[in-house]
Amino acid sequence: MSNVAKVNNNPFDIFVIGARKGFNIAINNLMPNVVMAYVISEILNLLGVMNLIGHVFAPLMGLLGLPGEAVTVLLTAWLSSSAGTGVAISLLTKGTLDPAQITILAPAIFLMGSQLQYMGRLLGVADVPKKYWPLLMLTSIFNSIIAMIVMRIIS
Amino acid sequence: MTDTRLSEDKPAAEAEEWKVGKGAYIALIAVILMFSGAFLKVDGKAWLGAFDFTTLGGSFGTMKNPATDTFVGAGGLSAKAGFLFALSLVPTVMLALGLLEIFTHYGAIRAAHKLLTPLLKPILGIPGHTGLALITDLQSTDAGAALSKELYDSKRITRKDVVIMGAWQYSGAGLINNYFSIGSAMFASLTLPVIIPLLLMFVLKFVGAVFVRFMLSTVYKKDFENE
Repeated sequence: MSNVAKVNNNPFDIFVIGARKGFNIAINNLMPNVVMAYVISEILNLLGVMNLIGHVFAPLMGLLGLPGEAVTVLLTAWLSSSAGTGVAISLLTKGTLDPAQITILAPAIFLMGSQLQYMGRLLGVADVPKKYWPLLMLTSIFNSIIAMIVMRIIS
Repeated sequence: MTDTRLSEDKPAAEAEEWKVGKGAYIALIAVILMFSGAFLKVDGKAWLGAFDFTTLGGSFGTMKNPATDTFVGAGGLSAKAGFLFALSLVPTVMLALGLLEIFTHYGAIRAAHKLLTPLLKPILGIPGHTGLALITDLQSTDAGAALSKELYDSKRITRKDVVIMGAWQYSGAGLINNYFSIGSAMFASLTLPVIIPLLLMFVLKFVGAVFVRFMLSTVYKKDFENE
């Protein structure tokens, strides 16, 4: 099937190939991660951790126009972009974040996203000397902070 | 996941004696407590629900306002709410990747490569032929990393170039693919056109790499004296 589609240039076939990829991503990456994020945020909620995090990080996040809980989005995003997105969405449905705040967070999630796994998949594979890994990591985090400031101004 | 793990563990377990450490008993107690319902709705101690299977299963939302609520409902909790919500995202992701596939097929990426190449030397100080590795990273982190490695191995770029390229690729890795597949979950809530965050991230990839280039030629200057 995929061979046939590759040979002809029919845009409908090409769309279907992409849509199929999208379905696989949705099933394998998106859905399990969103379920996990919803459950984790429920656990944190029940244990009162969410409240605590909210209070502790409120001043810092306030500078970016975000509630303190938003820091959980960034911390999770650092481990995995999809998990970070899941947390952001679960906070949105709960009303902790509003659409404007999601907009501020969106680019930041990807700029510092999945750094842990990309250490192996990118920096390791490309053979970037380990000495500079911390520098690149910090740069990504700076990028995220700049992104949130810019988004706050333009959104 | 559980299935593959069980089958992977089997040969090892058979080869050695069964080892039951302290951790194993703790795990057993934990699993029994979690599924027993002992922590379900304990009066005045709602936080115990964090260790109860039924509580964590959550609940589906309901049609509080049929005019605006989708099948996801409103007021859902935990796993059930997460599942339904994720399900509601599937069409967006399929549409986004389907369209992306078409634009890629008709050469959007090749055109971007052509436009980007003359900018690389002045902005990042790396040779123009690194453009393909950078552009590829927008679509696939792994392919971009492999291309960078190839350039270095064939001595077409220096170690310093690799670090600068690494900086560009690392922040917002796999940008286009990740944004349209995972990020599309947030598209409906964005207060700006979908393209704006993407452009901002693209620009910031350069900002970060320029910063790293600056650091390498100041703080880490000694490392690259021989290059």
